[in-house]
Amino acid sequence: MDCTRRGFLKMIGAGALCLTLGQFGFDLKEARAYARSLKIEGAKEVTTVCPFCAVCCQVIAHVKDGKLVSTEGDPDFPVNEGSLCAKGAALFTMYTGEHRLTKPLYRAPYSDKWVEKDWEWTLGQIARRVKDARDKDFIQKNEKGQTVNRLETIFSMGTSHASNEECAVIHQAMRGLGVVHIDHQARV
Amino acid sequence: MPKAFLVDTTRCTACRGCQVACKEWHNLPANETKQRGSHQNPPDLNPNNLKIVRFHEHLDDKGNVVWNFFPDQCRHCVTPICVDVADMAVPGAMIQDKATGAVLPTEKCVHLSAEDARAVAHACPYDIPRYDEKTRMLTKCDMCIDRVSAGLLPMCVKTCPTGAMAFGDREEILALAEKRLALAKRSYPKARLLDPADVNVIYLLAEEPEHYHEHAAFV
Repeated sequence: MDCTRRGFLKMIGAGALCLTLGQFGFDLKEARAYARSLKIEGAKEVTTVCPFCAVCCQVIAHVKDGKLVSTEGDPDFPVNEGSLCAKGAALFTMYTGEHRLTKPLYRAPYSDKWVEKDWEWTLGQIARRVKDARDKDFIQKNEKGQTVNRLETIFSMGTSHASNEECAVIHQAMRGLGVVHIDHQARV
Repeated sequence: MPKAFLVDTTRCTACRGCQVACKEWHNLPANETKQRGSHQNPPDLNPNNLKIVRFHEHLDDKGNVVWNFFPDQCRHCVTPICVDVADMAVPGAMIQDKATGAVLPTEKCVHLSAEDARAVAHACPYDIPRYDEKTRMLTKCDMCIDRVSAGLLPMCVKTCPTGAMAFGDREEILALAEKRLALAKRSYPKARLLDPADVNVIYLLAEEPEHYHEHAAFV
């Protein structure tokens, strides 16, 4: 047998590994079912935020070869200290689940069907309709002649996940249009 | 060093984070579910749910409703009966890992006849193993042996947001269980630990086990 020094050392290493596994308590043959490696081993850890409620628990997403393989609570985050409730614990399936929306859907007025649309069309429509509504309904002065610069036909429904900075941008955009009805999902 | 869990049901809010986290870690698919008038869903353990939170309600002596939650899972018995019964049919179909005390079904389960597999399941005093006819495997909690071997917490313990679950070396968990029991007794005079000498998943209950689950305790 052709055996280099390097190969020999490798073999010894493998032998030592088997020995430790054996001492570990498994009968090696029986342990095959459990010898599978940890699914998050070597995975890149990406921190993210659970999207469900205003507690905003932090989550570690394990990414392997560009694919999400697991999610779990981030123990270093002081709010949830690694824990997650049933909703947060289900993030992996939320991402991989077949029911997840990945494209904008549009239902035309009086239609009973949702139609898939691309983002360009969707964003264009949103911009068009916001502009039309503002041009049509903008109230510059009230009955008393006081300047109000108000738009009452659009309301903003935000999310408890918007950070302070995002809230500031949303708020400024809405106030810029004259929108006065601003709320977020946790109150409704 | 054998490992153990403490499940302090007086802290459990039945959020079912443990139940879902277990499914997610083990890549188990969803079950078709049905509204049966209880939050307990699915109704029982099955090959896709190795852990479920059981809901039980009853009236106390003053006529108030008491709602108890029981996160049910394999107890990883100190002397597992399922391993003995399985060994009689196919040696090694169920094993107890010496390092952690985890009781695990192995791939040899497929050599068990359906009848033998059911006998193993029925031998369990806590009614835990379920037989998967498709894969011919016995299914149950595996203590997240892959995680525990890598120094991580089992997924259910890791995710528990109320601190109802703890995991560690058996001696430490037994000490913690006594400490929590003393604390629980201040509010619940009938508080007790379930079979602490016999199992590695020790439940702390506020009252009699029959108010939690038929198979909560050995007797």
